[in-house]
Amino acid sequence: MDGSVRLDEVVMRFGDFTAIEKTSLAIGSGEFFSFLGPSGCGKTTLLNIVSGFITPSEGQVFIGGEPMAGVPVNRRPTAMIFQNLALFPLMTVFENIEFGLEVRGVDKRQRREVSERLLALVALEGSGPKRVTELSGGQKQRVAIARALAVEPRVLLLDEPLSALDLKLRQHMRAELKAIQRKTGITFIYITHDQGEALTMSDRVAVMSAGRIQQVADPMTLYREPATGFVAAFVGENNRLEARVIDREGERVRLDGGALGELAGRAGPGVRLANGEAAALYVRPEHLRPVAAGAAGPRFDTEIEAVHFEGAWVMLETRLAATGEKLRVQLGHEVSRGQAEALAAGQRMTFAYDPGDAVVLPDDGSPVVDEETGEVVESDRAQAGGAHV
Amino acid sequence: MFRQLQVRFGGPLAMAIVTLLGIWLIVMVTLPQLQMIEYSLKPNLLPAQIGGPEDRLTLANYATLFNNDIHRAIFLKTLWSSVLVTLLTLAVSYPLAWYLAKVATPRQAALCILLLIVPFWINEILRTYSWFIILAFRGPLNEVLMMLGLIERPIRFLSGNGGVMVGMVYAYILFMVFPLYNAIESLDDNQVRAARDLGAGTLRTHRRIVIPHAKPGIATGCIMTFMLAAGSYAVPALLGSPGSRWFTQIIYNWFFEGGNWNQGAAYAFLLLVLCIGFMSLVMKVFKVGLGDIGR
Amino acid sequence: MSSQRFLAFGLRFYVVVFFAYLFLPLLIMAAATFNDSRFPTVTPWDGTTLRWFGELAADGGMWQALGNSLVVAAGVLVVAVPIGIATALFLNTVSSRAKPFLYALILSPLLTPGVIIGISTLIFWRQFGVSGGIFLTVLGQATFIAAYVMLMVTARLQRFDRTLERAALDLGASPWQAFRRILLPYLKPALYSAAVIAFLQSFENYNTTLFVVGYDTTLTVYIASKVRTGLTPAVNALGLILILITVAVAVVYELKRRREAARVVEGV
Repeated sequence: MDGSVRLDEVVMRFGDFTAIEKTSLAIGSGEFFSFLGPSGCGKTTLLNIVSGFITPSEGQVFIGGEPMAGVPVNRRPTAMIFQNLALFPLMTVFENIEFGLEVRGVDKRQRREVSERLLALVALEGSGPKRVTELSGGQKQRVAIARALAVEPRVLLLDEPLSALDLKLRQHMRAELKAIQRKTGITFIYITHDQGEALTMSDRVAVMSAGRIQQVADPMTLYREPATGFVAAFVGENNRLEARVIDREGERVRLDGGALGELAGRAGPGVRLANGEAAALYVRPEHLRPVAAGAAGPRFDTEIEAVHFEGAWVMLETRLAATGEKLRVQLGHEVSRGQAEALAAGQRMTFAYDPGDAVVLPDDGSPVVDEETGEVVESDRAQAGGAHV
Repeated sequence: MFRQLQVRFGGPLAMAIVTLLGIWLIVMVTLPQLQMIEYSLKPNLLPAQIGGPEDRLTLANYATLFNNDIHRAIFLKTLWSSVLVTLLTLAVSYPLAWYLAKVATPRQAALCILLLIVPFWINEILRTYSWFIILAFRGPLNEVLMMLGLIERPIRFLSGNGGVMVGMVYAYILFMVFPLYNAIESLDDNQVRAARDLGAGTLRTHRRIVIPHAKPGIATGCIMTFMLAAGSYAVPALLGSPGSRWFTQIIYNWFFEGGNWNQGAAYAFLLLVLCIGFMSLVMKVFKVGLGDIGR
Repeated sequence: MSSQRFLAFGLRFYVVVFFAYLFLPLLIMAAATFNDSRFPTVTPWDGTTLRWFGELAADGGMWQALGNSLVVAAGVLVVAVPIGIATALFLNTVSSRAKPFLYALILSPLLTPGVIIGISTLIFWRQFGVSGGIFLTVLGQATFIAAYVMLMVTARLQRFDRTLERAALDLGASPWQAFRRILLPYLKPALYSAAVIAFLQSFENYNTTLFVVGYDTTLTVYIASKVRTGLTPAVNALGLILILITVAVAVVYELKRRREAARVVEGV
């Protein structure tokens, strides 16, 4: 059973608004693939194109190598798990799970066999005769999964299905989803704005912004080697420092940080940087470590503005003495309890980092951040282009 | 439009929906109205004359109303009586709607609404007939009034406008209460409390807070009540007398006694224009749209 | 404070008077049924009797009219309910610039006096040689009752989660299967309500019926003509029976509706 999905130069326009810029992508059969991006980035549109709810303005979708043009939703080898689950409220658990088989004309005994088997798979044995309204949030989630699996899809599409659950349950369901995916071998295409979900479950992740795929990579690569400023800022946390390229030697880049002095970072072979060009250096909070003032190499003299004790680590909000820019620092086991307790606003501290951990990218503008939540909403370029509301 | 239906329901069902809607709006709603208007613009002819030189469009049927003093008087009386019925109904309904929406406990309100719905379900004719009994010359109202010594001899309630208007208020009151209730109910209690807190008296609270909020309900209630009153045949037929005729009765007579359908159609169209005029006026005054009407 | 309390008391008093005003006439009419008087009245009381029920039962015209009313109401159900459902589905599905205009047209039968609907129906069908009678009564009544059905179905349709339809399609259902298995069961309570209301509206209608009924008679038309000519307490007996039936239906309907509403709150 070939569950591969291929998008071939797919474009989606709604009137003047381009929801999906020209996108090509191949997802392997049996892969757990996620689309990660802020709301409005086009990931749900992409999912709807694969499922057949909308027809792309241009381009083609192939599932299992077969072109899907002209194949309506109800004939595609896909099944969707909706954000609100969309369980049929007037039906029992059995009827929900068997619905897809019923409309295909499968006889009752066979249907019941399938639904019993799937209920066992999602650990809901004996719940079949219940009304779906009697179930808890987590149980509903499982019924939705069983219902989608009942039609034996080659590709399962999941549209932020965990967003309605509370934190504990959400983390539990992540593991369960991953386990189900491994057991069934079905291709999962997962949509989320929650990077934790995407990174923990996926084989590969496509980060999207403003209708464009920014980067497709496995979670580790995404985190270590972001390809664009948007990815660097959206996936995990990052301090962004503007600088100018002095020179480059293999992956190692020397930068002129202006008032910050000479800085250094790493750039992948695909990243093009010209000497003298503006660039951005991304240093993650957890890669900064306290050093004595005046130590050699790139370092930041800061003043602490706020200290947040998070349990496993301490998050510091500091300001760079040289430029007044913000710098977030995460301190873990490297500080002792006594040191951690001594941290206080107004204190001066110096931090250094290993240039191998800091990524240098061409300066493509600073990302737009939601003022209330502090989350990255969109890359700057998209905003400037007016493509996104 | 058809495409959207087809995507959602599939071809055959979309076809059925459009067909049913089309038959209704075209054959049952629009064409009969247009035909009525065309009728009203033609003279009343013998079958032999149809298609002949006299078969041409004319406003003569409309001129009749303006030349006939009695008909004109009845038309105007129907107009102002209906306005009066509407205002009276509004005045009677408002306190009740207020009580139901904001004063009564949920249990009380539920009971009251059930009690309101029951007579609402009962035939308009029967509701009117009950007043016929009460207002009769030798009926209970006269008896009670005489017993109390308020009058010396029975009053002929059923010969004037009074009986008709009492009967209409009674018959149509629930078309006013429910829109009012729905509108007031949606008002946030805190707004009323805030107004009270700020020192507004009962009257001012209603004038400045409740009534502006209830506008769509008031408009809907007034439009419905006026339309029902002006278009009523049953109430004036039962509770009125030959001396207090309603415009609908004139229309009826043109059709079934005068045998002049063209003339009747013209009068019917005038009644429709009257109702549309009132509706437009109310919608303009209260600044509400059609979307607010229809509960 | 005391003026506030006075007002509150006044309001309660008003509510009591209001309900007395609402029910007293009906009670008087009911009471007159049992008065052994030639005219329907409660003053003077000439002794208690049940004979008017007997006279009513012996009235062949009444039975004829009742039969007609039932036939008409059944016809109206057949015509108005499908139209009302179709219209509600149309309004719920379609978005178009023509929609406000269509909506006004759809609502217009509710805002048009009943007599005018009767008159226009009568005139329109004359050219096809159809004159007043049961057929035109069905058409005339269905013209505006369809709009009532539409309102009731729309009210429920607006609370429908359309993702459920998408889910059905996604699981392989055809649009027709999605309609039959998902949307229709959801609409069922509203359809029953609409059918009850449509039946009652038809059964009680007078203004429209008067113009299109021709030489036939429905029960309502029959009662009205009895009141004007040949009035006896037998009319009260009929009224009383109708009221009792109506009240029973209304109470059952309302209680059912409330249970339904409570279920909705619980999230069913």
